[in-house]
Amino acid sequence: MTITPQNAQIGDMIPDHKFGPVTRKTLALYAGASGDHNPIHIDLDFAKNAGMDDVFAHGMLSMAQLGRLVTNFAGQANVRHLDTRFTALTPVGAIVDCTGEVTDRREEDGETLLTLKLAAHIDDGTQTLKGEAIIAV
Amino acid sequence: MGIFDRSTEGHVTPPVEVTLERGAIAFFAETIGEADPVHLDADAARAAGHPDILAPATYAVVVGTFAGQKAARQGQPDLLTLINGDLRVLLHGTEAYDYHGPMYAGDTVSVQNEVTGFSDPKGGKLEIAHVTTRITHAERGPIVTATRGIIHRLG
Repeated sequence: MTITPQNAQIGDMIPDHKFGPVTRKTLALYAGASGDHNPIHIDLDFAKNAGMDDVFAHGMLSMAQLGRLVTNFAGQANVRHLDTRFTALTPVGAIVDCTGEVTDRREEDGETLLTLKLAAHIDDGTQTLKGEAIIAV
Repeated sequence: MGIFDRSTEGHVTPPVEVTLERGAIAFFAETIGEADPVHLDADAARAAGHPDILAPATYAVVVGTFAGQKAARQGQPDLLTLINGDLRVLLHGTEAYDYHGPMYAGDTVSVQNEVTGFSDPKGGKLEIAHVTTRITHAERGPIVTATRGIIHRLG
Protein backbone atom coordinates (compact mmCIF):
# COMPACT_ATOMS: atom_id res chain seq x y z
CA MET A 1 0.00 0.00 0.00
CA THR A 2 1.26 3.45 -0.84
CA ILE A 3 1.83 5.54 2.28
CA THR A 4 -0.01 8.88 2.14
CA PRO A 5 -0.41 11.57 4.82
CA GLN A 6 -4.00 10.35 5.22
CA ASN A 7 -3.15 6.73 6.00
CA ALA A 8 0.34 7.14 7.51
CA GLN A 9 0.85 5.59 10.93
CA ILE A 10 3.69 5.86 13.43
CA GLY A 11 6.62 3.78 12.22
CA ASP A 12 5.77 4.08 8.52
CA MET A 13 8.49 5.16 6.07
CA ILE A 14 7.39 7.73 3.50
CA PRO A 15 8.55 7.25 -0.14
CA ASP A 16 12.28 8.04 -0.23
CA HIS A 17 14.03 10.48 -2.56
CA LYS A 18 17.47 10.32 -4.17
CA PHE A 19 19.53 13.15 -5.66
CA GLY A 20 22.84 13.04 -7.47
CA PRO A 21 25.56 12.29 -8.04
CA VAL A 22 26.53 15.78 -6.86
CA THR A 23 29.01 17.07 -9.42
CA ARG A 24 31.21 20.16 -9.47
CA LYS A 25 28.77 21.52 -12.03
CA THR A 26 25.90 20.99 -9.56
CA LEU A 27 27.83 23.01 -6.96
CA ALA A 28 28.63 25.80 -9.43
CA LEU A 29 24.97 26.03 -10.42
CA TYR A 30 23.81 25.89 -6.80
CA ALA A 31 26.21 28.72 -5.90
CA GLY A 32 24.70 30.83 -8.66
CA ALA A 33 21.08 29.89 -8.06
CA SER A 34 21.21 30.28 -4.28
CA GLY A 35 23.45 33.33 -4.13
CA ASP A 36 25.74 31.42 -1.73
CA HIS A 37 29.10 32.22 -3.30
CA ASN A 38 31.21 30.81 -0.45
CA PRO A 39 34.33 29.69 -2.39
CA ILE A 40 34.82 26.62 -0.17
CA HIS A 41 32.15 24.93 -2.37
CA ILE A 42 33.38 25.96 -5.82
CA ASP A 43 37.03 27.00 -5.72
CA LEU A 44 39.50 24.14 -5.21
CA ASP A 45 42.39 26.53 -4.54
CA PHE A 46 40.45 28.21 -1.73
CA ALA A 47 39.37 24.85 -0.28
CA LYS A 48 42.98 23.55 -0.25
CA ASN A 49 44.22 26.76 1.36
CA ALA A 50 41.58 26.23 4.05
CA GLY A 51 43.00 22.74 4.74
CA MET A 52 40.39 20.71 2.84
CA ASP A 53 41.26 17.99 0.29
CA ASP A 54 38.53 19.14 -2.06
CA VAL A 55 35.47 21.34 -2.33
CA PHE A 56 32.32 19.95 -0.73
CA ALA A 57 28.61 20.45 -1.28
CA HIS A 58 26.52 23.24 0.20
CA GLY A 59 24.57 21.85 3.17
CA MET A 60 21.53 23.69 1.85
CA LEU A 61 21.65 21.70 -1.41
CA SER A 62 20.99 18.59 0.67
CA MET A 63 18.37 20.34 2.80
CA ALA A 64 16.64 21.29 -0.46
CA GLN A 65 16.39 17.53 -1.09
CA LEU A 66 14.81 16.99 2.34
CA GLY A 67 12.39 19.74 1.31
CA ARG A 68 11.57 17.86 -1.89
CA LEU A 69 11.13 14.62 0.08
CA VAL A 70 8.60 16.28 2.38
CA THR A 71 6.74 18.41 -0.19
CA ASN A 72 6.45 15.41 -2.55
CA PHE A 73 4.75 13.52 0.26
CA ALA A 74 2.64 16.20 1.90
CA GLY A 75 2.20 19.02 -0.63
CA GLN A 76 4.07 22.23 0.14
CA ALA A 77 1.00 24.04 1.50
CA ASN A 78 0.80 21.45 4.30
CA VAL A 79 4.40 21.75 5.50
CA ARG A 80 4.46 23.67 8.80
CA HIS A 81 8.03 23.08 9.92
CA LEU A 82 11.26 21.75 8.48
CA ASP A 83 14.58 21.57 10.28
CA THR A 84 17.92 19.89 9.93
CA ARG A 85 21.28 19.47 11.57
CA PHE A 86 24.21 19.02 9.17
CA THR A 87 26.10 16.07 10.65
CA ALA A 88 28.77 15.41 8.01
CA LEU A 89 30.15 17.01 4.84
CA THR A 90 28.84 15.85 1.46
CA PRO A 91 31.73 15.24 -0.95
CA VAL A 92 31.74 15.69 -4.72
CA GLY A 93 30.34 12.57 -6.37
CA ALA A 94 27.95 11.67 -3.56
CA ILE A 95 24.44 10.42 -4.13
CA VAL A 96 22.15 11.84 -1.43
CA ASP A 97 19.43 9.45 -0.22
CA CYS A 98 16.66 11.14 1.77
CA THR A 99 14.30 9.18 4.01
CA GLY A 100 11.46 10.02 6.37
CA GLU A 101 9.79 8.06 9.11
CA VAL A 102 6.48 8.94 10.77
CA THR A 103 7.18 9.35 14.48
CA ASP A 104 3.98 11.02 15.66
CA ARG A 105 0.39 11.51 14.57
CA ARG A 106 -1.79 13.79 16.67
CA GLU A 107 -4.82 16.07 16.63
CA GLU A 108 -4.10 19.71 17.43
CA ASP A 109 -6.50 22.65 17.13
CA GLY A 110 -8.86 20.59 14.98
CA GLU A 111 -6.27 19.34 12.49
CA THR A 112 -4.15 16.24 12.17
CA LEU A 113 -0.40 16.78 12.35
CA LEU A 114 2.32 14.27 11.48
CA THR A 115 5.89 14.47 12.69
CA LEU A 116 8.47 12.98 10.34
CA LYS A 117 12.00 12.06 11.34
CA LEU A 118 14.20 12.91 8.36
CA ALA A 119 17.63 11.69 7.34
CA ALA A 120 20.02 12.04 4.44
CA HIS A 121 22.73 9.46 3.86
CA ILE A 122 25.36 9.39 1.15
CA ASP A 123 26.27 6.25 -0.74
CA ASP A 124 29.15 5.25 1.60
CA GLY A 125 26.59 5.05 4.42
CA THR A 126 27.51 8.31 6.18
CA GLN A 127 24.55 10.24 7.58
CA THR A 128 24.87 13.84 6.43
CA LEU A 129 21.62 15.38 7.65
CA LYS A 130 19.37 14.68 10.60
CA GLY A 131 16.09 16.54 10.69
CA GLU A 132 12.41 16.77 11.36
CA ALA A 133 9.29 17.98 9.62
CA ILE A 134 5.78 18.70 10.85
CA ILE A 135 3.01 18.44 8.27
CA ALA A 136 -0.72 18.94 8.35
CA VAL A 137 -2.87 16.18 6.86
CA MET B 1 38.77 32.73 22.03
CA GLY B 2 36.44 32.70 19.12
CA ILE B 3 36.35 34.66 15.91
CA PHE B 4 32.72 35.84 15.89
CA ASP B 5 32.14 39.40 17.03
CA ARG B 6 30.27 38.70 20.28
CA SER B 7 29.29 42.36 20.64
CA THR B 8 26.71 41.78 17.89
CA GLU B 9 24.54 39.63 20.21
CA GLY B 10 21.02 41.06 20.19
CA HIS B 11 21.66 43.05 17.02
CA VAL B 12 18.68 43.33 14.65
CA THR B 13 19.47 44.32 11.08
CA PRO B 14 17.38 47.00 9.36
CA PRO B 15 14.61 45.46 7.21
CA VAL B 16 15.59 44.89 3.58
CA GLU B 17 12.95 44.49 0.88
CA VAL B 18 13.43 41.75 -1.71
CA THR B 19 11.24 41.17 -4.75
CA LEU B 20 11.09 37.51 -5.80
CA GLU B 21 11.77 36.99 -9.49
CA ARG B 22 10.35 34.26 -11.71
CA GLY B 23 13.59 33.42 -13.47
CA ALA B 24 15.56 33.25 -10.24
CA ILE B 25 13.06 30.89 -8.60
CA ALA B 26 12.92 28.66 -11.69
CA PHE B 27 16.76 28.57 -11.85
CA PHE B 28 16.89 27.52 -8.20
CA ALA B 29 14.15 24.91 -8.64
CA GLU B 30 15.88 23.46 -11.70
CA THR B 31 19.23 23.35 -9.89
CA ILE B 32 17.87 21.35 -6.95
CA GLY B 33 16.21 18.96 -9.40
CA GLU B 34 12.66 20.08 -8.60
CA ALA B 35 10.35 18.67 -11.26
CA ASP B 36 6.99 20.07 -10.09
CA PRO B 37 6.07 22.70 -12.73
CA VAL B 38 4.47 24.98 -10.09
CA HIS B 39 8.09 25.94 -9.24
CA LEU B 40 9.18 26.37 -12.86
CA ASP B 41 6.41 27.72 -15.03
CA ALA B 42 3.92 30.55 -14.34
CA ASP B 43 1.15 29.02 -16.49
CA ALA B 44 1.46 25.67 -14.72
CA ALA B 45 1.47 27.44 -11.35
CA ARG B 46 -1.72 29.35 -12.23
CA ALA B 47 -3.37 26.18 -13.53
CA ALA B 48 -2.68 24.65 -10.09
CA GLY B 49 -4.38 27.59 -8.36
CA HIS B 50 -1.32 29.70 -7.49
CA PRO B 51 -1.04 33.39 -8.45
CA ASP B 52 2.48 32.82 -9.89
CA ILE B 53 5.52 30.52 -9.61
CA LEU B 54 5.72 29.07 -6.07
CA ALA B 55 9.06 29.33 -4.26
CA PRO B 56 10.35 25.91 -3.09
CA ALA B 57 10.46 25.14 0.65
CA THR B 58 14.12 26.07 1.14
CA TYR B 59 13.99 29.19 -1.02
CA ALA B 60 13.77 31.16 2.24
CA VAL B 61 17.56 30.87 2.57
CA VAL B 62 17.97 32.37 -0.91
CA VAL B 63 15.70 35.31 -0.09
CA GLY B 64 17.83 35.90 3.02
CA THR B 65 21.02 35.79 0.95
CA PHE B 66 19.61 38.16 -1.67
CA ALA B 67 18.66 40.56 1.15
CA GLY B 68 22.26 40.41 2.40
CA GLN B 69 23.60 41.13 -1.09
CA LYS B 70 21.25 44.08 -1.44
CA ALA B 71 22.32 45.42 1.97
CA ALA B 72 25.97 45.10 0.93
CA ARG B 73 25.31 47.03 -2.29
CA GLN B 74 23.82 49.80 -0.17
CA GLY B 75 26.93 49.91 1.99
CA GLN B 76 25.48 47.92 4.94
CA PRO B 77 27.32 44.81 6.15
CA ASP B 78 25.70 41.49 5.24
CA LEU B 79 25.11 39.12 8.14
CA LEU B 80 28.40 37.19 7.90
CA THR B 81 30.38 40.42 7.73
CA LEU B 82 28.43 41.79 10.69
CA ILE B 83 29.25 38.82 12.94
CA ASN B 84 32.79 38.47 11.50
CA GLY B 85 32.30 35.07 9.89
CA ASP B 86 35.49 33.44 8.56
CA LEU B 87 34.73 31.35 5.44
CA ARG B 88 37.91 29.27 5.86
CA VAL B 89 36.60 27.63 9.04
CA LEU B 90 32.87 28.20 8.66
CA LEU B 91 30.32 25.38 8.57
CA HIS B 92 26.55 25.39 8.48
CA GLY B 93 25.40 23.68 11.66
CA THR B 94 21.61 23.83 11.70
CA GLU B 95 18.75 25.32 9.68
CA ALA B 96 15.06 25.40 10.64
CA TYR B 97 11.93 26.88 9.10
CA ASP B 98 8.53 27.61 10.52
CA TYR B 99 6.18 28.26 7.60
CA HIS B 100 3.31 30.71 7.95
CA GLY B 101 2.44 31.14 4.26
CA PRO B 102 3.69 30.69 0.69
CA MET B 103 6.05 32.97 -1.27
CA TYR B 104 5.44 33.60 -4.97
CA ALA B 105 7.28 35.23 -7.85
CA GLY B 106 6.37 38.91 -7.85
CA ASP B 107 6.07 39.11 -4.06
CA THR B 108 8.00 41.83 -2.30
CA VAL B 109 8.97 40.65 1.15
CA SER B 110 10.85 42.21 4.03
CA VAL B 111 13.85 40.40 5.53
CA GLN B 112 15.24 41.03 8.99
CA ASN B 113 18.01 39.18 10.83
CA GLU B 114 18.50 38.98 14.57
CA VAL B 115 21.72 37.72 16.15
CA THR B 116 20.17 35.82 19.05
CA GLY B 117 23.36 34.58 20.72
CA PHE B 118 26.59 32.59 20.66
CA SER B 119 27.58 29.25 22.18
CA ASP B 120 30.86 27.38 22.65
CA PRO B 121 30.27 23.61 22.45
CA LYS B 122 32.89 20.82 22.51
CA GLY B 123 35.08 22.59 25.06
CA GLY B 124 35.59 25.57 22.79
CA LYS B 125 36.59 23.54 19.71
CA LEU B 126 33.53 25.00 18.03
CA GLU B 127 31.76 28.31 18.34
CA ILE B 128 28.24 28.79 17.05
CA ALA B 129 26.41 31.97 16.07
CA HIS B 130 22.63 31.68 16.41
CA VAL B 131 20.64 33.81 13.98
CA THR B 132 16.91 34.22 13.34
CA THR B 133 15.68 35.55 9.99
CA ARG B 134 12.10 36.79 9.69
CA ILE B 135 10.55 37.10 6.24
CA THR B 136 7.29 39.04 6.17
CA HIS B 137 4.88 40.32 3.54
CA ALA B 138 3.26 43.74 3.97
CA GLU B 139 -0.31 42.43 3.54
CA ARG B 140 -0.01 38.71 4.31
CA GLY B 141 2.12 39.10 7.45
CA PRO B 142 4.77 36.57 8.53
CA ILE B 143 5.80 34.15 5.75
CA VAL B 144 8.76 32.21 7.16
CA THR B 145 10.77 32.30 10.37
CA ALA B 146 14.21 30.78 9.84
CA THR B 147 16.72 29.94 12.55
CA ARG B 148 20.30 29.05 11.75
CA GLY B 149 23.40 27.90 13.56
CA ILE B 150 26.64 29.02 11.91
CA ILE B 151 29.76 27.20 13.13
CA HIS B 152 33.43 28.12 13.26
CA ARG B 153 35.85 25.19 13.59
CA LEU B 154 38.45 26.44 16.08
CA GLY B 155 40.24 23.27 17.28
